Amino acid sequence: MEIMTDKNSAVNIKPPKSMSPWAIARRKFIRNKLAMISLCFLVFVCIVSFLAPYITTHDITRINMGSFSLEPSSEHWLGTDKNGRDVFTRLLYGGRISLFIGLACTAFVIVTGTIIGSIAGYFGGTIDNLLMRFTDFVLTFPFLVFVIVLNAILQNKVSGVWVLIMVISGLSWGGVARIVRSKILAEKENEYVLAAISIGCSPFKVIIKHLLPNVLSTIIVQATILFASMIVAETGLSFLGFGVPSETPSWGNMLSFANEPDVLQDKPWIWIPPALAVTLTILSINFIGEGLKDALNPKSYR
Amino acid sequence: MLKYTLRRVLAMIPMLFLISIIVFSLAKLMPGDSLGGEIDPANTDPEYIEQMREKLGYNDPIYEQYFRWITNFVQGDFGKSTRYKIPANEIIMERLPNTIFLSLTSLIITYVLALAMGIYSGRKPYTLGDNTIAAANYIGLALPSFVAGVFAIYIFSFHLGWFPSNGSVDISVTEGTFEYWLSRFHHVLLPAFVLGLLNTASYTQFLRNDIIENSRKDYVRTARAKGTSESKIYNVHIFRNSVIPLVTFLGFDIVNLVGGAIITETIFTYPGIGQLFLTSVTNRDYSVLMTLTMMFSLLTLVGNLVADILYGIVDPRIRLD
Repeated sequence: MEIMTDKNSAVNIKPPKSMSPWAIARRKFIRNKLAMISLCFLVFVCIVSFLAPYITTHDITRINMGSFSLEPSSEHWLGTDKNGRDVFTRLLYGGRISLFIGLACTAFVIVTGTIIGSIAGYFGGTIDNLLMRFTDFVLTFPFLVFVIVLNAILQNKVSGVWVLIMVISGLSWGGVARIVRSKILAEKENEYVLAAISIGCSPFKVIIKHLLPNVLSTIIVQATILFASMIVAETGLSFLGFGVPSETPSWGNMLSFANEPDVLQDKPWIWIPPALAVTLTILSINFIGEGLKDALNPKSYR
Repeated sequence: MLKYTLRRVLAMIPMLFLISIIVFSLAKLMPGDSLGGEIDPANTDPEYIEQMREKLGYNDPIYEQYFRWITNFVQGDFGKSTRYKIPANEIIMERLPNTIFLSLTSLIITYVLALAMGIYSGRKPYTLGDNTIAAANYIGLALPSFVAGVFAIYIFSFHLGWFPSNGSVDISVTEGTFEYWLSRFHHVLLPAFVLGLLNTASYTQFLRNDIIENSRKDYVRTARAKGTSESKIYNVHIFRNSVIPLVTFLGFDIVNLVGGAIITETIFTYPGIGQLFLTSVTNRDYSVLMTLTMMFSLLTLVGNLVADILYGIVDPRIRLD
């Protein structure tokens, strides 16, 4: 009899709703302290950079005759550079450019890579062969060499940061395309895809509604890794003098002042802030990436 | 394996041909031509410039120019550097030993450090030492090479005065003596360390995880059951299995060194081909620029090939053909 009552009560109590995979991932991520601290830091850096015009009142473009290379003081928190511009203000505006380029490149690379990878993986055959040979071809270009040459060609014709964004993303979508293709190849063998096709879904709909959501976790992890490497690419190129035009403040352009021995040796306040900003941003993105990888991996229990 | 290698090498030829077309078009698209770098346009008669252009073949159809360039190129005639007034291959050959020296030193530093730290971390995981190494690795991965280079010069050259901050050798020493080589080694150490930093971090992490994974496998349990000493298990049984995948990274090292050399050599004003490449872009020194771009592309192709072949050698289960 006891067993019977037990069964009855079990029917009456509503079974707790099981969590969706995304909810599990979110909970795992929130429990990861390092990733959460990094996320807070990154959000803080983004907000401060994008609200730069409302935070500081110094003029970034005007060359101030009276205040060349001033040491940090209460008026200029991080001192001024060789042209008398406030380093703190430039750091915020520079973050705006560097983060924007990083985000834009990541978006372009992810979109292009996903489109090409999913088309190649879904259709297979000749289309796959053609697209993948093209991808291989793009991947054989030494990245830095071709970015420098392309940017040198285009910089005089088109101005602004968009040239750099296009050049960087045009040369780096190959890796994402390969990863997405291999994931789609594995995923499309599942029976739900066959079911979707047999009820008459168009290939476009199958890819968007059925395949991509199952590949999304890989894409998200890739996007975080890419975001970090895109920021490194931009700052590195600007540091070498082949990135953003030199009058636009970016972390890389600010760092390039360190190429002058007297700045490097005696005026560390000019180059240490952008160096630290880049490193800490990359570090926090890496931690977020690790956290996401862990959270989205259903096999890891934490 | 030999058949596969040969097929891959042959497949590189059409790839290089396509790259050569792109390199040539890019060089043609660049503003100005190499004549502009050679003469002063303000002081020269425009008619003379036109004559020179005609004589050098700049007015020929673009495909004729391409074929002239590529025929000379495959025969080893890379053209003349407009900046240094000597053949491009001579100036490249002059700089190449410096870059090879830098790359080899950085590879040795990378592998020695990665092996030492990885083996220690893998053998004693989740201890204080392992966590310290892990923290150092995270910083190493996040530190872009140019930031690391700038900090290295600031700390080790300017403040501590241990290493010189630029050049490849002291001017005062005579070539060929023991002091000469000592000075070269002294100059290369800091840039090589900066160049090897990023790879060191990822290789250490890889080796550590591989050793931990291997230590849970059955063959290790068997070895323990037989009474093999712990140090022999780690230094012989596990080490052999864990170090093999690391070898396959050698191909990617070749690819990474191309980009790394450009940045590191610029920071340390080290006279290698990376720095030569940047100056050739700035000065529109086309013959040097095109030759170097082709060379870097070839290196990338070779690096990928080496990686694929090494994969096949260390893991016979991977069927290459």
